[in-house]
Amino acid sequence: MSETAIVQQATKAATVRPLVWIAVGIGVLVLCAAPIGISAYWLRVLTTVLMYVIVTQGLNVIVGITGYHAFGNGVFFGVGAYACGAAMVAGMPFAAGLVLSILVSAACAFILGWPILRLKGHYFAIATVALNLAAIQIIIQIGGITGGAQGLALPLSDWDPKPLYIALYYLMLAGAVASTAVVTILLRCPLGFALRAIRDSERAAAVMGINTTKAKVYAWSISAGLTGFAGGVWAYWITFIEPSSAFDPAIGVKAYIMLIIGGMGSILGPVIGAFVIEIVSTLVWSGFLHAHQLIFGVLIVVVCLVAPQGIIDASAQLVRSIRRGNGAA
Amino acid sequence: MLAQATVNGILLGGLYGLATVGFSMVWGVMGVINLAHTSFITLGAYITYVLFSQFGIDPLVAMPVSMLATFVLGYGIQRLILNRIIRTSLLLSLVVTFGIDLILTDATVIAFTSDVRSVNASYASTSVALFGTLVPLVRLLAAGLSLTIGIAFFVFLRRASMGQAILATALDREMSNLMGINPQKVFALTAGAGAALAGAAGTLSSMLFPISPTMGVSFLGAVFVITVLGGIGSVEGCIVAGFLYGLVQAWAAYWLGTNFQEIVAFAMFLGVLVVRPQGLFGRAFFGEHA
Repeated sequence: MSETAIVQQATKAATVRPLVWIAVGIGVLVLCAAPIGISAYWLRVLTTVLMYVIVTQGLNVIVGITGYHAFGNGVFFGVGAYACGAAMVAGMPFAAGLVLSILVSAACAFILGWPILRLKGHYFAIATVALNLAAIQIIIQIGGITGGAQGLALPLSDWDPKPLYIALYYLMLAGAVASTAVVTILLRCPLGFALRAIRDSERAAAVMGINTTKAKVYAWSISAGLTGFAGGVWAYWITFIEPSSAFDPAIGVKAYIMLIIGGMGSILGPVIGAFVIEIVSTLVWSGFLHAHQLIFGVLIVVVCLVAPQGIIDASAQLVRSIRRGNGAA
Repeated sequence: MLAQATVNGILLGGLYGLATVGFSMVWGVMGVINLAHTSFITLGAYITYVLFSQFGIDPLVAMPVSMLATFVLGYGIQRLILNRIIRTSLLLSLVVTFGIDLILTDATVIAFTSDVRSVNASYASTSVALFGTLVPLVRLLAAGLSLTIGIAFFVFLRRASMGQAILATALDREMSNLMGINPQKVFALTAGAGAALAGAAGTLSSMLFPISPTMGVSFLGAVFVITVLGGIGSVEGCIVAGFLYGLVQAWAAYWLGTNFQEIVAFAMFLGVLVVRPQGLFGRAFFGEHA
């Protein structure tokens, strides 16, 4: 994606028309009502979708707005999951565990950000991947309260399964709405302007008096906090976590794909990307059990070839070309 | 014991180096981080396995076949898919190659199932005495051939006109275009060569490791570390860094225990990235500006 295209997209996103917000409101209401009418299977699918909305919005902050391609951002998902899990095993309530998920993830990004955010482009991308893979080994080595390689079983809830899953669904929904709100606010506040200046030209931003390292570290901490929250809820949801599932690099990669397909740096792009990719991959999985990865791979390649700027941009272009065609005829 | 661990580590490092050269070249020349690279290793191993188990062809004889097959596949993928992508966005290539990797891995599972296979050549259990240590012949062969192929590719890049075109494109894409070099062709050629080198590494690793659809992915961590250590796009850097990586891994296992192998590798990786991001031998290649 060229720099100008990203800027155009971001500016477009920052001035969304009221009609779009009405549609978003209706969408949220529908999602609020959804648990009444759908089966347990689809409740599970939708909870996963909303989880990915949070993770992808977290990625949007560092990749879409700041322009630092954290390919291994899934590491904070695992940190959040383990922070919540360890806190609950130590006897704390779930709510305290969730707060810790956010704080510990953000603190990790804050500390690691100072050295790692000095790297640029591909180097930063692969450093985050290395971080993600190293985290698996670190948890295995630490052992103790993290359970090490054996995994960690969280205390079970007293609630019945059905209301519990619905409550967790609403928690993910609240997280998805909150993370989208964070991105919206960020695009309008001074930090957001600083971050977008860094994305378009870091040197120019520094010349304009922005403390670029500080801004980048803040952005990554926000990103990590959001991702960590999703990890914390996820840990309580599946109740058993192990290093290879909590720090699965595929989580970060999948969110990255959702972000690209939805459109980077926009407010609603990550939401649309998460819904499209997760629902399509669920349908493909249930339809073609043996070849689902193959078909999913083909879908990724085709979408990237057809709509490299994301599907919002591609459909807008399609509409524009149809209009132009009508005008000419 | 230490001598044995050292020799084993160095020999394995040769193979790691060969497994990385193609990945590093593709990254250096066109700025593509090819996540599908390791599935070419898997593919090379399976081609060797089929030729060996169906026709009784020796793995070393099968190597040119698996190199040719992976070359054609790498060339085709670059021409049909990746050349269209890198015109728009470099980081999009990460996602596309991830998709290609899914396709290739799943195709392997469908074709060969997930069962673990092995190639046992007649000389598989032969060992050679070397510096007072006992070294399996296949490991020695793998390291020797890896080094030979790596040097051959190094010479090809510097002596053959096609190789020089690849280097020129890596150093300055616009200028090489002005000199009458077609970047699309050079990209496809580089991708093909990179895949062929991975295929060769696949053939060699089929003699050392069990063959499964995920065998390539186990190389991914090493491939990343060695690329960065050697400097992106540097063939000689890759070979030296491969040996270094093998040595450090072996010593980490010897002094600290096998659990620490990966932690030491990642520490090395992050250390190099922060202190010397251009790698031990790297210079500014096109991929670095992107």
